Amino acid sequence: MLQYVTLKIDGAEFRAAKGRSVLDVAIEYGICIPHLCHIPNLSDIGACRLCIVEHVVNGRSKITTSCTLLVQEGMVIKSNTEKIKKLRHNLAELLVAQAPNSRAIQDIAVRCGVKKVRYPFRNNNCVLCGRCVRVCNELFHANAIGFVGRGKNRRVAPPFGVSSDLCKRCRTCIDLCPMTIIPCDGPMKTGKEYLCGKCESQLLFADEYPDTCVWCQLGEGFQCGRY
Amino acid sequence: MPKIKNVKELQSVRNKLLNDRKKFTATLTVCGGTGCRASRSRAVIDALRKELSGQGLEEKVYLRATGCHGFCEQGPIAVIEPGNIFYCHVSPDDAREIIAKTVLQHKIIKRLLYIDPVTGKSIRTEAQIPFYRAQDRQLLSQNKQVDPRSIEDYIATGGYTALAKTLSGILPDKVIHEVKASGLRGRGGGGFPTGRKWAECREAPGDEKYVICNADEGDPGAYMDRCVLEGNPHLVLEGMMIGAWAVGARQGYIYVRKEYPLALEHARIAVQQAKAFGLLGENILGTSFSFDVEIARGGGAFVCGESTALMASIEGKVGEPRPKDVHTVIDGLWHKPTLLNNVETWANVPAILLNGSARFAAKGSKDSKGTKIIALTGKVKNTGLVEVAMGTSLYTVVFDIGGGAANGKPVKAIQTGGPSGGCLPADKFDIPLDFDVLAEAGSMIGSGGMVVMDEDTCMVDVAKYFLTFLQDESCGKCVPCRLGVDRMLEIITDITEGRGKPEQIGLLEELGQTVSQTALCGLGKTAANPVLSTLRYFREEYETHVNQKQCPAGVCQRLITYAIDPEKCTCCGVCRLACPHQAVRGEKKQIHAIDPVQCQKCGICKSECKFDAIQVN
Repeated sequence: MLQYVTLKIDGAEFRAAKGRSVLDVAIEYGICIPHLCHIPNLSDIGACRLCIVEHVVNGRSKITTSCTLLVQEGMVIKSNTEKIKKLRHNLAELLVAQAPNSRAIQDIAVRCGVKKVRYPFRNNNCVLCGRCVRVCNELFHANAIGFVGRGKNRRVAPPFGVSSDLCKRCRTCIDLCPMTIIPCDGPMKTGKEYLCGKCESQLLFADEYPDTCVWCQLGEGFQCGRY
Repeated sequence: MPKIKNVKELQSVRNKLLNDRKKFTATLTVCGGTGCRASRSRAVIDALRKELSGQGLEEKVYLRATGCHGFCEQGPIAVIEPGNIFYCHVSPDDAREIIAKTVLQHKIIKRLLYIDPVTGKSIRTEAQIPFYRAQDRQLLSQNKQVDPRSIEDYIATGGYTALAKTLSGILPDKVIHEVKASGLRGRGGGGFPTGRKWAECREAPGDEKYVICNADEGDPGAYMDRCVLEGNPHLVLEGMMIGAWAVGARQGYIYVRKEYPLALEHARIAVQQAKAFGLLGENILGTSFSFDVEIARGGGAFVCGESTALMASIEGKVGEPRPKDVHTVIDGLWHKPTLLNNVETWANVPAILLNGSARFAAKGSKDSKGTKIIALTGKVKNTGLVEVAMGTSLYTVVFDIGGGAANGKPVKAIQTGGPSGGCLPADKFDIPLDFDVLAEAGSMIGSGGMVVMDEDTCMVDVAKYFLTFLQDESCGKCVPCRLGVDRMLEIITDITEGRGKPEQIGLLEELGQTVSQTALCGLGKTAANPVLSTLRYFREEYETHVNQKQCPAGVCQRLITYAIDPEKCTCCGVCRLACPHQAVRGEKKQIHAIDPVQCQKCGICKSECKFDAIQVN
């Protein structure tokens, strides 16, 4: 039998099944916590750090990722404080500066209030969120791709760098990749480190209704989990 | 060797060993640690052994090759008992003289004595050397008494008594109570109360538990764990056994990094010997306690010093940290409750159980008890391993033990805690060595590395060095550590190369705070410390780099120019010949000048000039 616990997210009380993550519960109840590396029903690794929340324990708040934090009885979570918003903004800014050519990442940046990017753009095509690796290994047990290298040299590659029969050509990795959604106004350009007008118009909406799903493009094909 | 079956037998083995050793009239202790080995101490030991056997003195003089004594820059070190005579920089050719004069006739060989760089006087005994005198060597002093390859040495000096005492009467809860009462805190960097960790692991549900010794010490310039594991592996083993008894574990692992071959070898030998003596295995000392230890060799990744990455590495997976929302004492190695402590923490345990927690807690400050080993390096006169009581001021460490600045220039700052620590300016040297006080000041004890810096050190360059190290060693899993550290390095490189903009300093600070608050593991959480602490105490240096495009310490290559002082130049031509870029112009007997276009700022001319005529602007 499922056991339930009661927890508070941003002041509201929720009932949730034991063993679920705070992020899952928040999404289920319509609280939008921005996230990138999380895919429903797959393991969470806490890599993108966008879903950080404040977990208040004995009056002291600890910053941790909500995807890896399991619900507990009487837990107090704050998902949208000024401190969290600022940290999230800085993380989204790092991501969008690394991979400005993705609609999904541009939308996340908008969602997190990034209007201008303070770092020079690098046109990387991968932010190492690991969505492809986990879906390949955990859902299809194909193990056709994995992480190779460390730190700056970390990348996603098939074993020994050659594509093999392990890959069943199911293309799920491509479906889940945040880089495959075309940006609304084409790639962002070096020297123009700000979001395009179409993206910025969404910001008004995000400011007006904090804490609720802004229906950013993230959901389309990206499996945000809100449908 | 028959297995030791109970406490009584352990005692009789010890008595027999002590009786056998009464025949020795003198003991020759030569350091065989990694530092001294690098200065050929093995050849010294071989020469001494050959000399002893040649003169038929093997039965009279006990030659012991020990682990590190701590004073590595003076190596190879030999200490002769009785008399506590201390010889440094010993070479194999000195062997005959040492035995003939000092061992047999108790005469001193003057040229081998240590000369105090502060007073210039030579010092006879180890106890009188200021470097040792100002220390409180609880752990390090034991290194001198044991040959790390000999369990007999360890037993003869009272080893495994704490284990025997524990197994024959101290219940696990009492053990944990003692460790809690001692106030021992994790020596690996975090400073988490050890007793609390043990209690949490004991209370964690599950029959199968593990203990781990973390010997993956990767901080540049820090080597205290190596020294303890290499010099006294049985002490660490004994600590682990007591820990295993307290939490109810049957299996232990020692995770040693690959760069420590000697520590690895000594740990392996120690485990084999302990098994042969029946101190590891089933029913240890006739009790129901069974425990075994395996050695796991790391692959050389800094991040594997982080507990969850280390456990992943032992499991055979990629050494990457995972979120610790559930602590490793509950969900650790193979998802079982796991007690992980640092080498130095384990090494402190036997003494606490043997002598009582009160004696341990008598040393130290209010919330940091006992002693701490520090690797003192950088621009001080005496470098090496230093053990002091917690609460000792940084001033004592730098000036009383370290002997002050090496080349007469004033000491500017001290970097504590390795890449995860921070830099403290000289006016903060009155603060005590204490986990909480140092953390408040923006640094940390970390594993205990301390690098002393003088006026020739550029703090921006120091921050850049540590960021480069961390960028290399970051596993790359989480965004703040992989991209954040990378961007911080990008900004700081801009600053040191003269492209810095004033707003970048603020951005650097903001980014540093973001990284430290949001990163996944301890490496990322502390990665910004070198930047944040230098920004806190040496902000004006950053501003000078950005606004005036100058490096006050004359380190950052792009911001400096070399010039020859015509008044000091003797026209010797050394710099002209030494310059690999032919940037020095001038004929013989003609004042030289440096061509700024050709000059690549390598600094070779400056290091070659005997007259100090090359200036850095």
